[in-house]
Amino acid sequence: MIEAIALAHGWEMQHDESVVVIGQDVGANGGVFRATAGLQARFGADRVQDTPLAEATIAGMSVGMSAHGLKPVAEIQFMGFLYPALDQIVNHMSRLRNRTRGRMSCPVVIRTPHGGGIHAPEHHSESTETMLCHVPGIRVVCPSSPARAYGLLLAAIRDPDPVMFLEPVRLYRAVRQEVADDGRALPLDRCYILREGSDVTLVTWGAMTLETMSAAAELEAEGVSAEVIDLATLSPIDSATLLESVAKTGRLVIVHEAARNVGVGAEIAAIVAEHGLYDLQAPVQRVTGYDTVVPLFRLEHDYIPSVRRIVDAVRRTLAG
Amino acid sequence: MGTFRLPDLGEGLAEAEIVEWHVKPGDQVRVDQPMVSVETAKAVVEVPVPYSGTVTALHGAVGDIVPTGAPLVEFDSGTVVGSMPPTAPEEFVDSATVGRAAPADSSRTRAVPVARALAKRLGLELGAIEGSGPNGLVRLDDVLAHAPAGAPRSSSNGDARPPAGNGSAATRGAEAPPAALAVPGGASAEPLRGLRRAMAHSMSQSHAEVPGSTVCDDADIHAWTGRGDYTLRLVRAMIAACGAEPALNAWYDPASKARILMPRIDLGLAVDTTAGLIVPVLRDVRGKSPGELRAAIASQKDAAHRRATPPEDLRGFTLMLSNFGTLAGRYGIPLVMPPAVAILGCGKVRQDAVVAGGTVAAHPRMPLSLSFDHRCVTGGEACRFLAAVIADLELPE
Repeated sequence: MIEAIALAHGWEMQHDESVVVIGQDVGANGGVFRATAGLQARFGADRVQDTPLAEATIAGMSVGMSAHGLKPVAEIQFMGFLYPALDQIVNHMSRLRNRTRGRMSCPVVIRTPHGGGIHAPEHHSESTETMLCHVPGIRVVCPSSPARAYGLLLAAIRDPDPVMFLEPVRLYRAVRQEVADDGRALPLDRCYILREGSDVTLVTWGAMTLETMSAAAELEAEGVSAEVIDLATLSPIDSATLLESVAKTGRLVIVHEAARNVGVGAEIAAIVAEHGLYDLQAPVQRVTGYDTVVPLFRLEHDYIPSVRRIVDAVRRTLAG
Repeated sequence: MGTFRLPDLGEGLAEAEIVEWHVKPGDQVRVDQPMVSVETAKAVVEVPVPYSGTVTALHGAVGDIVPTGAPLVEFDSGTVVGSMPPTAPEEFVDSATVGRAAPADSSRTRAVPVARALAKRLGLELGAIEGSGPNGLVRLDDVLAHAPAGAPRSSSNGDARPPAGNGSAATRGAEAPPAALAVPGGASAEPLRGLRRAMAHSMSQSHAEVPGSTVCDDADIHAWTGRGDYTLRLVRAMIAACGAEPALNAWYDPASKARILMPRIDLGLAVDTTAGLIVPVLRDVRGKSPGELRAAIASQKDAAHRRATPPEDLRGFTLMLSNFGTLAGRYGIPLVMPPAVAILGCGKVRQDAVVAGGTVAAHPRMPLSLSFDHRCVTGGEACRFLAAVIADLELPE
């Protein structure tokens, strides 16, 4: 996935001169995970700028650059370091269009790794997407494969409004997939159906698609046909696809790595309760991380929802 | 980024010759896969990959002599934080489609949740109920219209719990709050708690759910030698009756409309205590000797009065006995506790004027009342059972 992200950067910088890349270590070093490797050598230090270790500055610079016609793609090294930038993101990036009554938009993409599972230290395994999803005026996108990372990042850069682009670290190098470097974007604000099924709908995003797809395969062996939906754009949510799937299956299990309390899963459950309640044949189940600090690596895999927990939740909906 | 230097290969040698590279720049490698073969003065040694990542450069070509400690391979491990899982060698299969799959099954019944729950509780097939709501939505009143007689008819009865798996007065859940009733002056309302509350719930369930019927008769116990232990004789008679007619030692599952004939007789014994009705279970009465049975009955009665019956002894009876005649009353209409399908009640034994051998004589007779769930027990089965009970009770011993 990391190479797909680098490819998308390269394509768009090649084809759109207003695209610039900023962030700590994105230039000479090529980014903490090598997502911007080689870009500075290819496009020069004016378009691929290293910044100080100052997240508020990175976000603020991006807003300013966008106001002057550039399309900045900024990298925050880990989601746990995003918080100093929230003032710029919430108070400025998300509302530039509103504040100027539509005269200006804010074509910024802020990329940051998402989630854990790589034995990293504290602050490096966060999945706090729900904080961002709550803010009106920004899109929150989380790809689940190299191909979607490529296509959705291109779409995010091309979109005239700000996008928070969350990259599941567990997927950076976990899977290998040929990605055609053809500059084709994928649609934002749409779910991606990874697997069609008729008995239960599993909704997830990011790295949890791996466990969820494994659970679906395990369930298939038991004769349970699970539909797996990758939410992909976490805000705004593609309610129509979710509701159609629930109308078809009558059962919903939501899987996310983030803590349960007020997670994006709660919003999905609320959407289905408001618009799809009569289609449900069993209570909605959530399989999530726990309401605690993400543990360090020894317990990390007890925190991240397991295939077993997902299968058990599906069985609960089938028993109901 | 990392530089791997030629290690001391354990022989204290100062240098080694590169025999063969097993990796090349650009390769994604995993820990421990073969990296390079080097020849020392003694042997060819294979050096494994020290960390997962991407090989960015090799120092030295085949045939070069490399001093120990000199740079050998450059790696890009991909991150400075944490450890990346190694990339799976197989291609990632990903066949995502954007949004909106075509609905496969439009015939699925849509229902208001409380209607769905009630239909399940009543054992009704939701698909067979025509919904009166928009687009055929099944509403609570639609389910109530299909409810069997005796089931709650009012939408205001919100108790739509599924049936409890095992019947016992003392293990029932809480009853829905009673409708407020004006309390006359001088009286005070006593909220039902504990056993009484459980009884209120289980009797309501029995009344709502079970289309019961009762058949009564007497057993002439004139022939008994000695005084006899009524409870023990009744248990023995029920065991004999189960042999003659197994249909009453059963459970009925309204959801699947199935009766489950029980291979073992677990007899629920209604015990009246100061705290309320309690029904401990005598397990496998058929397998017990009269002495064991007598001991089991005594200990369960004692535990019931002490409120010390373990919860597991309050669940899962397959047949029930209520020997209310120790107090008063001749016949009664005992209520069947689902999922069991029958209960035998025994009234007060009294001397009756009986025509025997052409003359009227005074014989002690035991009045019996057998209630059964008429959904799965026929009248014939019930009467055969009762006849077998009487036949056994009328034996001298």
